[in-house]
Amino acid sequence: MLEQTAGPPSVAHPIAPTVALSGHGVNHLGYRGWNGQLEPGWMRWAVIAAVGVRRAWTSSWLKRMMFLAWLPAVWFSVGFFIWEQAALYPDWRQMAGGMMRGLPPTPAFDQIRASVQSGDLESSRHTVWAWLLQSFFRYPQGVVMVMVVGMVAPPLISQDIRSRAFLIYFSRPLIRGEYVLGKLASLWVFLSIISTLPALVLYVLGVLLSPNLSVVAATWDLPLRILGASVVLMLPTSVLALCFSSLTQETRYAGFAWFMVWILGWFTYWAATASQAMNSGRFRSPEEQVAFMEESAWTHLSLYHTLGRVQSWVFGFTKLEDVVVSIAILVAITVISLAILFRRISAPMRV
Amino acid sequence: MPALIELHEITKDYGQFRALDHVSLKIESGVTGLLGPNGAGKTTLIKVLLGLVRTTSGHGRLLNYEVGRQAREIRAKVGYMPEDDCYLHGMTGVECVQFVAQLSLFSAVEALRRAHEILDFCGLAQERYRPVETYSTGMRQKMRFAQAIVHDPPVLILDEPTSGLDPEERQIMLNRIRLLAKDHGKAVLICTHILPDVQSISDSVVILAGGRVQVSEKLSELSRPAVPALEVRLLGDPARFLGTLRSRGISCEERPSGTLLLHGAPATLADEVWKLAAECGVGIRSLTPSRNSLEEIFLNAVRGESHHA
Repeated sequence: MLEQTAGPPSVAHPIAPTVALSGHGVNHLGYRGWNGQLEPGWMRWAVIAAVGVRRAWTSSWLKRMMFLAWLPAVWFSVGFFIWEQAALYPDWRQMAGGMMRGLPPTPAFDQIRASVQSGDLESSRHTVWAWLLQSFFRYPQGVVMVMVVGMVAPPLISQDIRSRAFLIYFSRPLIRGEYVLGKLASLWVFLSIISTLPALVLYVLGVLLSPNLSVVAATWDLPLRILGASVVLMLPTSVLALCFSSLTQETRYAGFAWFMVWILGWFTYWAATASQAMNSGRFRSPEEQVAFMEESAWTHLSLYHTLGRVQSWVFGFTKLEDVVVSIAILVAITVISLAILFRRISAPMRV
Repeated sequence: MPALIELHEITKDYGQFRALDHVSLKIESGVTGLLGPNGAGKTTLIKVLLGLVRTTSGHGRLLNYEVGRQAREIRAKVGYMPEDDCYLHGMTGVECVQFVAQLSLFSAVEALRRAHEILDFCGLAQERYRPVETYSTGMRQKMRFAQAIVHDPPVLILDEPTSGLDPEERQIMLNRIRLLAKDHGKAVLICTHILPDVQSISDSVVILAGGRVQVSEKLSELSRPAVPALEVRLLGDPARFLGTLRSRGISCEERPSGTLLLHGAPATLADEVWKLAAECGVGIRSLTPSRNSLEEIFLNAVRGESHHA
C-alpha cells in the first residue's frame, strides 16, 4: 500500500514567482518532495506492457479484429458439441463421422474413424479434442495471429526510435531486457486473448458438454498442450515482429516486412509443393493431398507451416523426430531476432 | 562539503575518436554549470554518469554509487532532462509524466497524482491533456523537465533546459531550477550553451573542451579578477574625472562599453571615487567591484588557456 505524500508543504520563495507567472490557481502546490512507498522493481516491464496495450487498443480496426478472432471459437465449439452429443446419442454419430472426412490416413485419425464406426467414442475423446484444438490454433487463429501482430507490433519500437523515446526509457532504472519483455508482453496480451483464452474456453466447454467430470482425468493434459501451443505461436512470431519494428522508424515498413514474410513464405511453399506433387503424379484423393502437403519438405519455407508442424507435435499428432528441423528453425528465428533486437535498442545509446 | 559526483581519469573512445580524455572532477551539491563548445564531450559525460555508455577507462562515483557498475541505482536517484526532442508517441502530456513516474516504480494512481502536481509546478496547464506530438518546443521542454523531477530525485542533470524557451519562460525555468536547488536541496548539473543562465544560477562551473576538463571551480572564485579593481559607470563627461584620477595616481582605463576600470582595492577606492566624482561634477551610475565575466572565462578555457593551469 502507498503511504500518503509526506513531503514538506510548498514554501513561497521570493526568487521563484512561478505561481504568479504561470497563472495557476489556489490548487497549485508548488514543488513538494515525495517519499511514498514504491512498487516492486520487477513491475517495470508490466508498466511498458500496459502502455503498449493501451496505445494499440485505440485502433478501432484492432477492436474489430479482436472481436472477429473469437468467431472461429464458436465454429469449433460446434465440433465439441457434435462429438459429445454423438457420445451420448447414437443418432449424432453420422454427423460426428462427417467431421472426420478429409483427414489424412494417420494412425491417430484411423483410430478416430474406427471408434466412430464401433460406437465407442469415449476412447477417442482425447484425440478428437486435441485435433479440434490443434486445428483451432493452426488454421483460423494462425491467420488471425498474423493480422493482429501485424497491427500491434510494427509501431511498438519503430515509434520509440522515431520519437527518440529511448532516452526517456533508459535514463530510468530500466534495463534492455525489461524494455523488450514489456514490448513482447504487449503483444502476448492480444495473442493470448485470441488464441490461449478461446482455446481454454473451448476445453472448458467440452468438459461441460461431456456426460460427467471424469473426462477431466482423461484430458488433463490438453490445457497444458494449449499453453505449449500458445508459446509456440507467440514467442517466435512476437520476437520476429518486434525485430522488424526495431529495424526502422517507419511503422509501415515494419508492417510490410511482417506480412511479406508470411505471404511470400506461404506462396513459395505452395508453389514448390504443388509443382513437386504434379511432377510426382500424386493427388489421387483429398486425404492424400493433405498428407502430401503436410509431409512436404518445403514446409520449412513457410513460417506458417513450420509453426503448424510444431503445434501438431505439441498436440501429439506428429513425432518429435519429424519436427526437429521445424523446432530448430523457430528457435533460430527467435534467437537471431532477439540478438538483432537487443543490438538495435542499444544502438541509439552508444552515440 | 562531500562530493556528489567524483570522477577519476574517465576516458571514453568512440572508435578512433576520443570523446572524453582522462576526465577527473568533483562536483558538490548546489547548481553546477557544465559548459563547453559543441563536441566537447558534455553529452558523453552525462551518458557516462547515467551508465548509458561504457567508459574505456577510469572510474567514478555518483551519490556513493559506482558509475557504470551501479547504473540502475544511479538512474533511480537522478532526474535526467535530455536535450534531444524525445517523447512518447500517442500519449498526452500527463500520461507521459505518469508513465515515467511508473517506470520509477510509483503506483499508477500515485503516479497520476504526482504527474498533475509536477505539471502544475512546471506551468503546463490544460495542454497536458493534448497529445505530445502537438506540443510546441516550449511545452515539450516543460514536459521533459516535469519527467526529470517527477520522482523527486536528489540529483538533476539538465541538458539545455532553457533552449527553445522565450525570455519570460526562460526566466521562469531558471527560477524553478533555483528553487529546487536552494529550497529542496537538489544537486543540479546544468549543461548549456547559454552562459548568462549559468552565471545567474550556478554555484560552480565545469568547462570541458576537446574532451578534457579545462576549468572546474566555484563561480565566485572564477569571477574574482587577478588584480582587484572597480568598475565605474558615469553620468556626464568622463574626461575631467579621468584626468583627476590620473593626477591622484589612480591607474584607470576606459573600456569600449564606456565603463571605467579603476585598479586598486575596491573598499579603499570607493570613498575616493565618490569624492572625486563630486569634485568633478559627474554622477556615478554604478560602482561595482570588477569581476571576470563567464564569457571571458569560457573563451579562455576553450582556447586552452585554463584559468587554473
